[in-house]
Amino acid sequence: MASSEKYAPPAPPSDTVAALLAFTVLAVLIMPMLDVFGAIDHFTLNLWGKYLCYALLALSVNVLWGGTGLLSLGQGLFFALGGYMHGMYLMRMIGDQGQYHKPIPDFLVFLGWTDLPGFWKPFENFSFAILMAFLLPGIIAGIFGWLAFRSRIKGVYFSILTQALTYAGALIFFRNNTLMGGNNGFTDFKAELGFSLREPATQRGLFIATAVMLIGVVIFLRWLEGTKFGLVQRAIRDGENRTLFSGYATPAFKLFLFVLAALIAAIGGALYVPQVGIINPSDMTPEKSLEAIVWVAVGGRGTLLGPILGAVFVNMLKSYATRAIPDLWLILLGGLFLLVVLFLPGGLVSLPEKLRGLWQRFRPTPTPAPAA
Amino acid sequence: MRKTFSIITAFFCLFAKLGAEEARVSIARAALAKGESAQGVILNELMGRADESILPLLDAWRKDRLYLYEPTGAPAVPVLLEGAKDGKGAQVAVSVATGKAIGLRLVADDLNSVAHSANLRRIMKAVLDLTDLSSANRAKKLGALAAIGQGQQVEKLPALERRLPLETDPAVIKALREALALVRLKSPDVEIRLAALRELESLQSLASTDFIKSLQKDPATLKDVRLADAARTALLAVERHRTVVDFGGTLFRSLSLGSILIIVALGLAITFGLMGVINMAHGEMIAIGAYTTYVVQNVFANGLALSPFGVSINLPGLHTTGWWRESYFLFALPLSFLVAAGAGILLERGVIRFLYRRPLESLLATWGVSLLLQQLLRLTFGANNVQVGSPVYLSGNWIVGDVLLGWNRVFVIGFATLIVVGVWLVLTRTSVGLLIRSVTQNRSMAACMGVRTERVNMLTFALGSGLAGLAGAFLSQIGNVGPSLGQSYVVDSFMVVVVGGVGDLVGTVISGLGIGSFDQFTQQYSPMVAGALANVPFVGGALQNLAQDSAVFGKILVLCVIILFLQWRPSGLFAARTRSLD
Amino acid sequence: MSTTRIASLLSVGALALASLVSPARAEETVKVGVLHSLSGTMAISETSLRDVLLFTFDEINAKGGVLGKKITPVVVDGASNWPLFAEKAKQLLEQDKVAVTFGCWTSVSRKSVLPVYEKNNGLLFYPVQYEGEEESKNVAYTAEAVNQQATPAVDYLLAQGVKKFYLLGSDYVYPQTTNLVLLEYLLSKGVALENIGGGFRKDASGKIISAGKYTPFGHTDYQQIVAEIKQFSAGGGAAVVSTLNGDTNVPFFKEYAASGLTAESCPVVSFSISEDEFRGLPADKLVGQLGCWTYFQTIKSPANKKFVADFQAWLGKSTVPGIVKDGRVTCSPMVLSYDGVYLWKACVEKAGSFEVDKVRDAWKSGVSFDGPGGKVTTQPNMHLTKNVFIGETKADGQFKILKSFDNVYGEPWLKGKFK
Repeated sequence: MASSEKYAPPAPPSDTVAALLAFTVLAVLIMPMLDVFGAIDHFTLNLWGKYLCYALLALSVNVLWGGTGLLSLGQGLFFALGGYMHGMYLMRMIGDQGQYHKPIPDFLVFLGWTDLPGFWKPFENFSFAILMAFLLPGIIAGIFGWLAFRSRIKGVYFSILTQALTYAGALIFFRNNTLMGGNNGFTDFKAELGFSLREPATQRGLFIATAVMLIGVVIFLRWLEGTKFGLVQRAIRDGENRTLFSGYATPAFKLFLFVLAALIAAIGGALYVPQVGIINPSDMTPEKSLEAIVWVAVGGRGTLLGPILGAVFVNMLKSYATRAIPDLWLILLGGLFLLVVLFLPGGLVSLPEKLRGLWQRFRPTPTPAPAA
Repeated sequence: MRKTFSIITAFFCLFAKLGAEEARVSIARAALAKGESAQGVILNELMGRADESILPLLDAWRKDRLYLYEPTGAPAVPVLLEGAKDGKGAQVAVSVATGKAIGLRLVADDLNSVAHSANLRRIMKAVLDLTDLSSANRAKKLGALAAIGQGQQVEKLPALERRLPLETDPAVIKALREALALVRLKSPDVEIRLAALRELESLQSLASTDFIKSLQKDPATLKDVRLADAARTALLAVERHRTVVDFGGTLFRSLSLGSILIIVALGLAITFGLMGVINMAHGEMIAIGAYTTYVVQNVFANGLALSPFGVSINLPGLHTTGWWRESYFLFALPLSFLVAAGAGILLERGVIRFLYRRPLESLLATWGVSLLLQQLLRLTFGANNVQVGSPVYLSGNWIVGDVLLGWNRVFVIGFATLIVVGVWLVLTRTSVGLLIRSVTQNRSMAACMGVRTERVNMLTFALGSGLAGLAGAFLSQIGNVGPSLGQSYVVDSFMVVVVGGVGDLVGTVISGLGIGSFDQFTQQYSPMVAGALANVPFVGGALQNLAQDSAVFGKILVLCVIILFLQWRPSGLFAARTRSLD
Repeated sequence: MSTTRIASLLSVGALALASLVSPARAEETVKVGVLHSLSGTMAISETSLRDVLLFTFDEINAKGGVLGKKITPVVVDGASNWPLFAEKAKQLLEQDKVAVTFGCWTSVSRKSVLPVYEKNNGLLFYPVQYEGEEESKNVAYTAEAVNQQATPAVDYLLAQGVKKFYLLGSDYVYPQTTNLVLLEYLLSKGVALENIGGGFRKDASGKIISAGKYTPFGHTDYQQIVAEIKQFSAGGGAAVVSTLNGDTNVPFFKEYAASGLTAESCPVVSFSISEDEFRGLPADKLVGQLGCWTYFQTIKSPANKKFVADFQAWLGKSTVPGIVKDGRVTCSPMVLSYDGVYLWKACVEKAGSFEVDKVRDAWKSGVSFDGPGGKVTTQPNMHLTKNVFIGETKADGQFKILKSFDNVYGEPWLKGKFK
């Protein structure tokens, strides 16, 4: 592929720290408080919890795409795997409260099983499930990344290959015989660590946890950007071969980032499941991962704020449009997406700057002040 | 089986006793009889009768044209409606029992037609089978022979034996011998049974498996060592033949799936090769081709009314009939190419040309286009799948040595070959092809030499989209035509392209065939492999349920193999060699 | 003061927009949710249900509404996206506060919204044939249970002399459970294990626990499976019991017809193809294949004739974007949606209230409605007693009714019953 000119995203706005701080106060304190006093309903808070999980997925996409120029079409896989691992614990916590009132999950009963398969047993332990929510996506990302970067697969090939990976994952999880719930996935959760998931307080707690995790990830990524590692990462993005020839083992750097991105996605997934109440293989389909890329593109890639903004904005739009204009919302979404890619390559975060530019171009040139 | 046989013999005695009741009287009686089994008994009496009225009456019954005239207070009369319809839609009613008009004009829609079930139709068919045996229609004859064989009705043996010296067609002779042997398995004479088994062994008859197996369970066979041995060897011969058929069939199916993959991926490979851009709206170009076929089909028939966004569009119909109607598909092919190519040009001019320097973002922009197009198709043609029929020349099949070759599949294979050769000729033997290749190899150099790369881009994109449109026309013959049609093929076509390598026709062909074969062979043989490994610890347990979802297993394995394959060949089978870095 | 401002800024879309669209005259109307996929893969089937629901609301409103209140539908798009279904259900219940919801098609969509309805004590009317094995007090199952579809169909085939059954389905909960029940049922009817085709699933000890061949959603290549069926049926007396999902039926039946298999050599009984799905199928190639539903458009009753005519007339006048007006048919899920609305109305009127608990009590006490498919009666187990019909496809895409079973009691719990 001959294209040599790389698109350089705008530098992060200087007021990121202030925005982050404002966001922290809002998300961790104010919104839950409002929820307690009934100023916003539980549904809204819960919805925002979901958006923030998606924001983590968007950040994961951005670590690769904005950071090194690798466009992964398979981040949904890691998100869903994180969700599945946590979901296995939640499934065990249903106990015999399911439709069949049997001690094993419902879908195993309808498949004709009477005993719990061996690999399900350790998931009764919360810590084990959470450990697996990181380990499994991490290991899969590690193996796949090692294979891919070792043979220097990049560009569109990397994108297509990650798409194949998540598609294969979706097909495997769609099989009922995989014993992971098949097409239905996991649903009908009752409790987390003994707290009922139907209680607004539990949901509020989960929301705060998500917000804290998101902020933590942002701070970590911000710190990483400033280190020497961040420098190499940008060097890889701007000229991988040159970095390689300068003596940096770029495959190792990329592998680290790929695993890191997978872990961030997995955190999002693990927090997503108890708040949304369902995880199923449709979260692994290539479309889902593509959607996450849309969020990043709309928000503004290469920045820390952009992906979060994009994830929240696009999903809010989707929540609204599927209710207000159910027949036309896909056209709206597709159109918006097209417009952003064509006319606003920096995404929403670049909008103020763009407007300022426009303003400066068109405002009447001030008459020069007469010399004193 | 035995019981049926004795019941049938009983019917025959009954029939002999009743003697000369006219066939039409029996049919009228059957039409009025209560319950399916009673009707079956009466119809069975007609077996072997040579009465000219049987065929038209049973045919009318099967096709819901035998009606019940139910006057209040009087018994119902089975009637046929004949002659032209008058202003009220009424026709002359003719009594089935007498064959004479009953002096009334009746409207078909007001009457109930005489019911029939699959079971009754089977009996009717058996009655007609014996008539069909002397039919000139080969397919009918073969169908009748298969039915007689499966029925294992000993009373039909003489009729079959009489036919044997008269037939010349080898396929009919084979079917006849098979039917004879199957019926003879029911013979009480052990020697005849043995001979029948040997015959089935030499015929390698796949249809006989169940019958030989049930013979094996027969207490008479269990006692007789010779019979048991013969049954076993016959079964072995059939199973051996089955492996050959399975292999041949799998090979053919691989070729056909491979051809489909080549057709759907070819357009993508060309645009990808030229621009390094994966067109995510490729699937929708396929859908556009399929919908074009749908529109052409309806224009050849009764027209089509569409109402996208409240605007109603009425496409007039040509109301063609016969061969003209059937030929719609031949017109749809070039049209689907042109329409999709036009859509491709719009897409290229409107979106993609702004993004040549940002390949990954053009991937995203085309995905936006894909969402848009899907919903537009949904709003124009409705969310439901639409119906695209197969013309007669695509709906039959050949059976070669028990391997089934569907005409639509043969056509797809032939057409894929044609398209590949055509595209190859365009690329290598025309000036446009030369330009396309030059831009593919080195865009800036070509531009320096005065090639108008902008125009070449447009042409290439049109060609790629047009090919997708053609693919859509084909897929309409084997699958759904709906708004998300393209989505089912889009991942597959990406895989073909990345495995084949960029911009190489041969790569696409090999990769398409390879992926197709891999998929079909895994589907066919993975249950067998799983069965063989069932006792291997750990692996066996995981594999033992594979027979249930071998279809999805094939797909998963293909994806894994592709990921591993790219380790070995990171840019596909036929990577364009270049010295440039970054 | 300032905190509320920030909050409203934060939840700008979800809050402000939701209040924008909610109707001003809340007093004389009752809000009713419609939760179907209007985009994505399931739009194929579900859009028709949205259409028939809107028609039913108009019909009821024209006659004065329910308890004097006009029905205001709140239509949302589940977009064939199961987490989105859960979100939309929450939105309908917690924000729009709908009195009742009509919706869902796939089992997974029902399963994903079920906790939401249980938590908020909402009421969902579910109209599509399903696997049973569920009985929530917050769901009114107007759908066919397995004993109102699969077992009557198999009884019919057995009576027709079919000896071999090939079980084929899409890989999801409905086919899996149905085939599990059918395996038990067939064995209890004396069908030998070797005469059940498609493959078996064994548990760790090697015991067979289920049968059937499964393909993923959106599967397009049925060559190998049809070749297998061709061999399976070579000796005659075989039938295919298909629980393939709507979309995959097209490639399957096209392949089936091309291989020369017909309804006479090996009939297929499908539980997911209704008249509506036939609009996308080559009907002329499928003549004689079987279907089993609690309604067919060809039912000759005045109620049905009126329903079909009224619906088509309504479509002609409808201004819903993208609605298809030409060649529309009615089918069982549509009629069960229609029946559902009227049953809800009857329950509300009997209870004299829109409150879910009272409406449910009315349902459990047994309410009847004479719908297009005949009389339907509510049962204490939240299911319906209804008539079951076995039909055979005709070249025009309609079904000819072969047999009917009257007043079949909907029984959700069938597994283990036939051992």
